Amino acid sequence: MEIRWRRWSPQLALLPAVAITLVAFIGAIAWTIYLSFTRSRRFPDYAIDFSEWGRQYERLFKDGGWEIALRNLIVLGLGSMLAIVFGFILAAMIDREKRGEGFFRTVFLYPLAVSLIVTGVAWRWMFNPTLGVQNFLHAIGLTGIDFNWLASSDTAMYGIILASIWQGSGFYMALMLSGLKSINSEIWSAARLDGVSFWRLYAEIIIPMMKFTFLTCAILLSLGVVKAYDIVVAMTNGGPGQSTWVPAYFTINAYWAKSNLGYASAAAVIMLLITGAIFLPLVLLTAWRERARAERVA
Amino acid sequence: MTTIVERAADRAIHDEAVVDRAPLYPRKARVISARSVAIIVFLAICAAFFCLPLYVIVVTSFKTMDQIRVGEIFSLPAPFTWDAWWSAWDEACSGIRCDGLKVGFFNSLAILFPSLILSIALSSVTGYALALWNVRWAGSFLFVLFICAFVPFQIIMIPLIILSSGLKVYGTVWGIALVHAVLSMPILTLIFRNYYKGIPQEIMSAAMMDSGSFWRIFVEIILPMSGNILIVVLILQITSIWNDFLLGLTFGGLGTQPMSVVLANVVITTTGEAAYNENMAAALLTAIPPLFIYFVLGKFFVQGITAGAIKG
Repeated sequence: MEIRWRRWSPQLALLPAVAITLVAFIGAIAWTIYLSFTRSRRFPDYAIDFSEWGRQYERLFKDGGWEIALRNLIVLGLGSMLAIVFGFILAAMIDREKRGEGFFRTVFLYPLAVSLIVTGVAWRWMFNPTLGVQNFLHAIGLTGIDFNWLASSDTAMYGIILASIWQGSGFYMALMLSGLKSINSEIWSAARLDGVSFWRLYAEIIIPMMKFTFLTCAILLSLGVVKAYDIVVAMTNGGPGQSTWVPAYFTINAYWAKSNLGYASAAAVIMLLITGAIFLPLVLLTAWRERARAERVA
Repeated sequence: MTTIVERAADRAIHDEAVVDRAPLYPRKARVISARSVAIIVFLAICAAFFCLPLYVIVVTSFKTMDQIRVGEIFSLPAPFTWDAWWSAWDEACSGIRCDGLKVGFFNSLAILFPSLILSIALSSVTGYALALWNVRWAGSFLFVLFICAFVPFQIIMIPLIILSSGLKVYGTVWGIALVHAVLSMPILTLIFRNYYKGIPQEIMSAAMMDSGSFWRIFVEIILPMSGNILIVVLILQITSIWNDFLLGLTFGGLGTQPMSVVLANVVITTTGEAAYNENMAAALLTAIPPLFIYFVLGKFFVQGITAGAIKG
């Protein structure tokens, strides 16, 4: 009796988590995929018209807003990669010059504790054309500088990128710093003895050694970019026009503003596919890393 | 099954901030090389860039609108006034209601506590069962959880809205708290499971020999060993629930929205001339709780963020 009870209680304790996974994740994903093939508008409509089951997707890819959203996703992804570069530079500097490490780490990381809504509100104020940073620059004579990025559809995305970099680079700095610190100290002394120059040391030794860290950062960043929503709402709310729409914004907008369930579901499915396409390299990377580790041990 | 996330969590939790490398080249006392100066100057400029937005919102929040209209964004407040803070707290308008951020503040607290208790209880027990008990399908379940931790919210949003309306919790703070607990379950379980995996098997065998049951071992042996991880997870959850916007927006009703949503409404839905000082004070009020945690418990905060990275 005792033994049997012991065998079952862990399984019993896992029941809530399994139920949540089955209902709120797997079930819900299947549900959304199903809805994306229906003509549901404000309320779910579970009849599938098989002669035109792909109509939501057809509409989606003819929609100019969706095209903008996808293009912005790429722009945001590439632009945010600067956060990794910036994070690495900061980490390398901090690691090289130990003085003030605690102070600089604290300063570079604090934006991470600030929500993206607050980040957006703060930067939106700085971008204010008449009272913000632009006015200050013009007042001190730099009249040629245009810092009114959020007002123009050509530059609004860059404003969002700048704010995201401000908020996120500290995180990549932290990851890079722990990567740098795990590099064997003998490598640094050996490089020193061989008289390898500063730039070559980083370009040819350190960065290749940290390729896993860089890849992890890039994948985490891409997954975050697909989810980017708060920062867009807080900074531009999608505007001017539709110029700063991203897929996450598009999906929420299709549900709330257009109250079109089927359409929002189709957009969400594409978001899931994009996430999957980013997720796959993560799995491969893990396997690759595992093999690299095994080889080192062997 | 080992994954990057687990490894990251591992690293964040087990090594207390990676062992420092011994100083490589013994530094000559009192001599600061030109390179050091250059690096410190560069870092200081970057630090200034990071501090700039905080500086701007702090000074703006203490200014009067008259001074703001002059257009000197970096100037210090003169006269210095708390007025904007009071009106942000008490009477800022979000939509048609003008009750200030205090409504959102108390809603956020009411969301925070139940979801903390629910999510930590649920995922610590799940992590414990998966790590230390012989569950045959643990490996595949962990893989599924790993995937669930990555899916974008939008793909499960509509069913969750339908389900929570069915449970009659849609639009209530309980509903938001419940959704937070559900959505954070996969990643928190992975974090706990990883931590408990590090507990030596001997301790578990001894406890089982002692005829400890599943729950007794958890309460009497495992929980007292979990202090560190509990703090990390607690801080991770507090900051991410407090800073959340999308769930609050989706599942909050009129009058039950968390602080971040109220803030967004106050700032974005203004008509006429925006009260910038009030907006900045509102932003600061919202940002203070997580910032406070960051400055007081920074080490745990960083560990939590690294472990929960994928939640993003």
